[in-house]
Amino acid sequence: MRDIPRQITLRQWDQRYEQMQKAGIAQPSYGGLLSRHIEDGDTRLLKLRYDNSAAALRLWNFLLTEEDRLREARDRGKKIVGTMKDLGTVPVMAYSLDNVVAFYPDGAWWTPCVMELNAGLLSIADSLGIDESFCPVRAMLGAFVTGSRFPIPELLICSVGATCDDFSAIAQRLDGLGYPILWWEIPHRREPEPGEESVKLPGGFSAPRCQVEFVKAELQRVRKALEEFAGQHLSEEKLSAGIRKANQVRRLLAELRRLVFTARLCPMPALEMLIAEMLAIHFCSDRDETIAVLKELLDEVKERIKEGTGLLRDDAARIFWVNPVADLQVMNLLEDCGGRICGTEYMFTHALDEIPENLPAMEALAQMALADPMVGSSADRASRICAEIRSPPRLPTRVGAAGGLCAEAVVISRIPGASHCALEGQVIGEIVQAELDVPVLEIEVPSLTDSIAQALRTRLEALVEAVRERRKK
Amino acid sequence: MICAGIDAGSRTIKIVLMDARSLGVIAKGLTDQGVAQDKLTLELFERLLKDSDIRKKDVRRIVATGYGRNAVSIADTTITEITCHAVGVSRLVPDAMTIIDIGGEDSKLIRLDKSGKVRDFAMNDRCAAGTGRFLEVVARRLGIGIEQLGRMAAKSRNPAAISSMCVVFAETEIIGLLAAGTPAEDIVAGVQAAIAARVMSMIGRKADLPIVFTGGVAMISGMDRALESALGQEVTVAPEPQMTGALGAVILACNQLA
Repeated sequence: MRDIPRQITLRQWDQRYEQMQKAGIAQPSYGGLLSRHIEDGDTRLLKLRYDNSAAALRLWNFLLTEEDRLREARDRGKKIVGTMKDLGTVPVMAYSLDNVVAFYPDGAWWTPCVMELNAGLLSIADSLGIDESFCPVRAMLGAFVTGSRFPIPELLICSVGATCDDFSAIAQRLDGLGYPILWWEIPHRREPEPGEESVKLPGGFSAPRCQVEFVKAELQRVRKALEEFAGQHLSEEKLSAGIRKANQVRRLLAELRRLVFTARLCPMPALEMLIAEMLAIHFCSDRDETIAVLKELLDEVKERIKEGTGLLRDDAARIFWVNPVADLQVMNLLEDCGGRICGTEYMFTHALDEIPENLPAMEALAQMALADPMVGSSADRASRICAEIRSPPRLPTRVGAAGGLCAEAVVISRIPGASHCALEGQVIGEIVQAELDVPVLEIEVPSLTDSIAQALRTRLEALVEAVRERRKK
Repeated sequence: MICAGIDAGSRTIKIVLMDARSLGVIAKGLTDQGVAQDKLTLELFERLLKDSDIRKKDVRRIVATGYGRNAVSIADTTITEITCHAVGVSRLVPDAMTIIDIGGEDSKLIRLDKSGKVRDFAMNDRCAAGTGRFLEVVARRLGIGIEQLGRMAAKSRNPAAISSMCVVFAETEIIGLLAAGTPAEDIVAGVQAAIAARVMSMIGRKADLPIVFTGGVAMISGMDRALESALGQEVTVAPEPQMTGALGAVILACNQLA
């Protein structure tokens, strides 16, 4: 049942869902009314606007049923491993074992947003000494203590070292509470020194061979732990098959991003694209279903482009967005203000790059882990952002930004309390501006933006106005 | 053809009327902001029309800007204060490259390109320490009018160091300074320096010259010198600094008619 693309409220989705039911449109096992998630306490969903496609409904239901699906997986005898901090490497290994499901406890950082703080997860974190000076990932502590947001995993694996200080402190506190963690170290990526063997990493960065070997050894420890946990040998063949499956997800996302970011009319809203991109990190606890969800989204996008339909004005300001937002409403807000997303760097760009299939599996995974934008310098992140903005995949000339760039402006969204780098916004902003001469706006987005909605609106509107003025040159 | 620009700020409402053909200012006025924002705006608008002998129907386009822009029911459209200040300042100081706007509840840094268009901007509206609100607090605490602050600061020989980054704590700090016998003029000068330092944090390194200072706080003498001292660069106060937002709004209204 196709309809003109538009963004609708949760209540409107309910009406549409009934029509879909009457039309006999099949739903996956986790399908159903979106509003049922309100009953679980996700009241914030009432404030969002959603794409009206069946593909988007499936995406949202997939995201919002993760806890139920995890419990069902456990009931079916699957073993659950929590893979923390690492964005996109260990889950690839875990899903190579057929009796293991990996999930991402850090994902609880969105809970205070979707539940409007009702779950009290942040209060629990406060009581454990992890107060508001830490990033919203601290909600994860509350989720573990209450056991209310996900089943407690049998194994926890967490990267440490060149990861954010906040997260390390939060995870250490979790370990201290009696949830033992298998730590693996990721070093701060650096350029090879003269005389050192250099390894070109996926995504374009380089690292010395010794760092790749170090990470490989660390991941080898993780591999062994996973084997013991699963009671299975994690062979090269299994790992390679896991890598190929992960790459299938990444290729689907790459195509989805290319089409959505470059279409004349935006065929999929920023909010749904943010959720879709997040699937790359951890597959939302079901790798095969992730592939199915992304395929349906991609089909919908292709159909809309073919029909020449889409959302938003065709002169919407083309924005490159850096860092995910803690309050999902802000993605709706950007579009209300006349912007559209044409590129993103949500801290896990490496999880969107294909894992080399022509290398031994552990070498390929070690290279991917080191390609993580968060384990290098902010200047590295900025250079990748500049490269992505400079190299748009076949932009239509009608809406292309000046100078052939895919973006007309950059928004750097800070997460309060997050300490990936205290000055990352400034560093990225200065480099992007110096290299590309596009307006850069830095904003802070807490879990709930209601009290600063007008201030955020003013900033985003002003950015869009600046873009439109610059077009008149 | 006449256009109007309305800057509904947090402290005052400003209106400029302009002839869209000649781009000459016909009238301008301001009034204090209040709870009934829309009513106050309408009253000022009607007073200006009456004083200028203009009929309401002759006003062809109205652009509202500022913090309360969405509450202005007579506006045809709204444009943010960032864009409006840029346009207004560029009209008054055509070669301006940097605008520092300090209002009652927020402060802004706007960087312009050579054609006067917004290159980028930064805003502080979550902390009163970089805004006119800080000056109001200190004036109230010292029992003087805000317009007297500049003269008082000029007498300072040894500005006090105000280290608190929050106005609430700064007020406590000021009470302590008064109790310790610190002269009032040194406290006022210290507060001006603290506001300038806060603005400085938005700028980062050097700002492109010329720097134009606008907003209601620019009318308080000594604030421009405090900014110059913090920046180490020359700062020029815009002519009628309170009106630049409304001026930009009315110019944009005229452009929309063209």
